[in-house]
Amino acid sequence: MRPYTYAAATTPSQAVGLAGSASAYLAGGTTLVDLMKLDVLGPSSVIDINALQLTGTTVDSAGLHIGALSRMSDVATDPNVTGAFPVLAQALEASASPQIRNMASIGGNLLQRTRCDYFRDVQTPCNKRQAGSGCPAQDGANRTHAILGTSTSCAATHPSDLAVALMALDAVLTVQGSSGTRQIALADFYQLPGSTPSIENTLKIGELITGVTVPPLAWATNSSYLKVRDRTSYEFALSSAAIAVQLSGTTITAARVAVGGVGTVPWRLPAVESALAGQTASIANFTSAAANAATGATTLSQNGYKVTLVQRVIVRALSELLGVTS
Amino acid sequence: MSSSPIGSATSRIDARLKVTGGALYAADNNPPGLCYGYLILSTIGKGTITAMNTSAATSAPGVLAVYTPFNPVKLYAYGGDENDEFTPPLQDANVRYYGQVIGLVVAQTFEQARDAAELVTTSYAPQTPATSFPGAAKVPAASAATVSQTYTTSMVHHHAMEPHATVASWTNGHLTVYTATQGAPLVVSRLANALGVAGGNIHVINPYVGGAFGGKWGNWAHTPLTAAAAQALNKPIKTVLTREQVFTVVGHRPMTSQTVTIAASSDGTITSLTHNGTASKSNSSKFTEGPSTVSNITYAAGSITTNKSTIDLDIPATTIMRAPSEANGSFALECAIDELAVELNMDPLALREKNYANTVPNGGKPWSSKHLAECYSTGAAAFGWSKRNPQPGQVLDGDWYVGLGMATAIYQASRSNATLKVRLRSDGTALVAGTGSDAGTGQATVFAILGAVALGIPVTQVTAQLGDSTLPTAANAGGSSSTASNGSAVTIAAQAVITALIQAAISTSGSPFKGKSAANVKWKNGNLTSGSTTIGFGPLLTKMNMAGVEATGTASKTTTAGYSYYSFGAHFCEVRVNKWTAEPRVSRLLSVMDAGTIVDSKTARSQIMGGMIMGVGQALLEGSVLETSGRIANANLASYLLLVNADLPHIDVTFLNYPDTKFTPIGMRGIGELGIIGASASVANAIYNATGKRVRGLPITLDKLL
Repeated sequence: MRPYTYAAATTPSQAVGLAGSASAYLAGGTTLVDLMKLDVLGPSSVIDINALQLTGTTVDSAGLHIGALSRMSDVATDPNVTGAFPVLAQALEASASPQIRNMASIGGNLLQRTRCDYFRDVQTPCNKRQAGSGCPAQDGANRTHAILGTSTSCAATHPSDLAVALMALDAVLTVQGSSGTRQIALADFYQLPGSTPSIENTLKIGELITGVTVPPLAWATNSSYLKVRDRTSYEFALSSAAIAVQLSGTTITAARVAVGGVGTVPWRLPAVESALAGQTASIANFTSAAANAATGATTLSQNGYKVTLVQRVIVRALSELLGVTS
Repeated sequence: MSSSPIGSATSRIDARLKVTGGALYAADNNPPGLCYGYLILSTIGKGTITAMNTSAATSAPGVLAVYTPFNPVKLYAYGGDENDEFTPPLQDANVRYYGQVIGLVVAQTFEQARDAAELVTTSYAPQTPATSFPGAAKVPAASAATVSQTYTTSMVHHHAMEPHATVASWTNGHLTVYTATQGAPLVVSRLANALGVAGGNIHVINPYVGGAFGGKWGNWAHTPLTAAAAQALNKPIKTVLTREQVFTVVGHRPMTSQTVTIAASSDGTITSLTHNGTASKSNSSKFTEGPSTVSNITYAAGSITTNKSTIDLDIPATTIMRAPSEANGSFALECAIDELAVELNMDPLALREKNYANTVPNGGKPWSSKHLAECYSTGAAAFGWSKRNPQPGQVLDGDWYVGLGMATAIYQASRSNATLKVRLRSDGTALVAGTGSDAGTGQATVFAILGAVALGIPVTQVTAQLGDSTLPTAANAGGSSSTASNGSAVTIAAQAVITALIQAAISTSGSPFKGKSAANVKWKNGNLTSGSTTIGFGPLLTKMNMAGVEATGTASKTTTAGYSYYSFGAHFCEVRVNKWTAEPRVSRLLSVMDAGTIVDSKTARSQIMGGMIMGVGQALLEGSVLETSGRIANANLASYLLLVNADLPHIDVTFLNYPDTKFTPIGMRGIGELGIIGASASVANAIYNATGKRVRGLPITLDKLL
């Protein structure tokens, strides 16, 4: 950890005014402080935004609004969330540990950095950490790495569970910068690594996420988040699925499907959604729809199993959500 | 005393201190003027350091010194091996493995030291490290009822709750060291050699240890380095390893590749058993494992052949870790037995009973006390083993395949010479004390119980003091020997202190027994009695104006000749494997243990559970990923996964509790290692029963079962 200056802001505009190209916003600190200790991040100034009035949820005709400084644990149990969007609550509950969920903010969750071990070890090359230095994961330890949206420069997975659920729900971010506020669809927010894996999203320098809006979706009450991982808790997904299903009798009339743990960004699967639409809810139909999940996948030496796993996760999630076992 | 506390469920006597922060672990000590050390580690796997640029670090805020091979503190050769490294740090510019200590920054705060360490740049002349650990060749099958398979285990680490830490301070040539260790005498002898200081001038204090598992037997590089730097700067220094540093600065359990070949007749009688075990060995350390040795003692067989070989690698030290050899060896042997049962279409428990070793196999000695058959039968009944479907992959509970597996545990009982003292104090309490280490096992409580029993007083009146090098030399905590060694000495010391108290009582003014003959003064339940006079030892000491009276007791390691001493157990495991996504989860664990007299059933249960859990972790999650560079790819606790509570069900542990009085007068043998042996195999065998998939390489992760 390198020396840095510290300032606490009380309003978003004050925070934005303090920000610069080498600054970092401090909310829960559960990613930032870790990475500063590891010397992965070395901001020259840290702007504490915890006093900003950006907590809590509201519901109006535009949908569910979540303040960016709301803590994960608060949102996970918020009545505005648990009833209308179980997939959100479940994704939050499946994340990290209770201690981290009590600290980590919603905005920070969406901006958390990859768990790729090469990214987190400054003694190794990493294109995401140091542009142009190389990607040891390509032929190194890559069992947990992504199969979708990868490039020869980077195959690091995006670690957030919440982002997967929000992606399935067409969430929109509100961000504030020096020239005002703007809205960004989450689908447009994350950037594929390509040849520039250090650029992860479309935030401009100094821009601050102030809120997340989830548009109304009545049938999101029938939604769930399934996370499969090596151990039962406190671990990132090998593959996860956020799903919401609209049923008419036993026929699926519409579906939302996004997956985590397999993509360099939270990964929406429109091909799976359209393959499910109009189909009877059955394991056979789930399976054939899920076969579209890994289209275009690129596997490395140790992560080929994820091609199968991501499909199975979708089938299992649908099976459990809809109570269909045959 | 209405009943003996031996075998009762006694809570740790230091539990309140530990959960309220009152127990000071090594890193909790802050001598006045304390400075902080931070280690710099190598980032190549083999070669020579050509230069280290320390100018930025040296001029960084708060920095007092940056020690490197080019600016070292002097450390002499280690002398005796302590299951750690051959050579002290910074005395040459050679890099022997990735993550080796190549520098120490000392600064006024921990953060300043860490920051400065990041400013040091190092240049190397690299060489290619040896890091490849190939599997052993498969032995061809010889007949229908033959199993011949190769099993592999990964590099795993102790990962005690308390990271390694050393606090060193010097006063007038006298060194005081707080350091996490399994034996204060090990630290004294190591530092005496490395620093060139008389052992009498070194005081090691370590009353509480937050887990060790073999990883705190050795004195790793930070310990002599911190002591030498504290001397050079004449300031107290604290060096605490980060979790990442623990992976390489501290040794680990070797990798193994083992081939087990078993031939049996159709009734299940094993006619021959061959176990070839290859283990990795660091070029920086002496220790490696011989995992095949477990096959010499577990089952009767017409012939038994075991072979041991090593592959020398440029990796961090290979060292002892809980059941060194047996934990890995039993995985291979107990899986092979399970595979043989499949070949024979025989119940795996019945196969084990069929080949029960009534004496040590191949014409060995009789066992001192063996009740493994009862472990099998008791465990099978309690677990519902008879309900196991012998056909794998047949039992579904919802979307989860369910399977049952089991395995045998066996571990040698051993003793060391040990001396402890018992002190009776005028406040009516007794103290049991010695250099021995309570590595979180509950040893202090066990010694208090044994002291209380020998003195006939309640356990609540006994305290224990351990981990201080100035106390009588007890056995170090290792090899499951501490209770048998040190506990036996407690009993002797308690008898000696009673004699000493009586001698004082008949010869000291103020005593109501002054002038009586010793034979006429009797001790019972903390009181001395002669004629109609009875007085407790506390009031008696007060009357004599004595703070206390103490005596030492020494227990010899000698046991009854003509027997082999082992503890035994049977593990039973139920797993569930999701039919879609294949993650394996343990849903039931039950073990029955034949480990002699159990002194404290509460801490003993925790010990066995801890071993079982460590075995489940080895089976399902743990394993360092070694890159060809020698770097461990997952050297942090976010990527090297340990079990969490949610991974574990309720765990049943039963002790048969047959005293082994040929081994110790009270009959205890030792339990530190026993729980892990066979535990990983019971999981692997249950996974086979659940899925029909036989995974022979640990850990068994879902990608191997999809």
